[in-house]
Amino acid sequence: MISQKSTAKPDVEIDASPKHVLVVDDDIVIRLLIAEVMRDEGICVIEARSGEDAAGYLKSGGRADLIFSDIQMPGSIDGLQLARYVRETYPSIPVILTSGGIIPQGLNGVVKFVSKPFRLNSVLELVLETLNAAGGAANG
Amino acid sequence: MDNHCVMLIESDLVIRTPLAQYLRDCGFRVVEAFNAEEARIVLAQADLTIDTVFLDADMPEESGFAFAAWMRANHPGVEVILAGSVEKTAAKAGELCKEGPAISKPYDHKIVLDEIRRRIAARARNMDES
Repeated sequence: MISQKSTAKPDVEIDASPKHVLVVDDDIVIRLLIAEVMRDEGICVIEARSGEDAAGYLKSGGRADLIFSDIQMPGSIDGLQLARYVRETYPSIPVILTSGGIIPQGLNGVVKFVSKPFRLNSVLELVLETLNAAGGAANG
Repeated sequence: MDNHCVMLIESDLVIRTPLAQYLRDCGFRVVEAFNAEEARIVLAQADLTIDTVFLDADMPEESGFAFAAWMRANHPGVEVILAGSVEKTAAKAGELCKEGPAISKPYDHKIVLDEIRRRIAARARNMDES
């Protein structure tokens, strides 16, 4: 019997490109801090200052492997509405919401929640853990 | 470009994001701001030094020309590169700012990069001469 080297391609292609995280917050200082700590981990961060900005980015075909969004934001789409829109339209993208207010009802475990003020390292750990669990599901 | 920090002021995320990423890939530290109000908050951060500001002349709420004039008065050490729709804003240039937009939309990322590098080199030459 002649042994042959397998030339079959693996069933699953490994996506080695950096993960894309869409950070949505109208406070530029918070956005800047979160974005920097994620970029230091090799994550590609897209910064949006409103729900409209974020939805527009997704509609334009922009890639997002995870969305980290504040809840209270000016404009017609707040963080909860954005999370609902993402759940309906891009169900594979995990969403983490944050707020300095009362923990919103009705999240039903579908999205994760972080209270403000938060430690940047805790947010980063949660983001990395969520990205790993999602296994790189992406939009765009 | 070690530690050279560029602040991009552009309200359109779809325009701002790829340009910011390109400049990061070229070795710059890049801070993104939506408008002049956000830019002023960034400039007030004590632990952050902005070396170059690249801004859209046609920003919402406050014109890029007015912001560039404010920058010259309040942050004279920061290079300011105006960009945007030349036709629409050229008329305002004379009254608000001594320089018109250097780069027009849609942005060619390489041209933006070259302009930033040119400004850095010119500033370094000026410092050597003084």
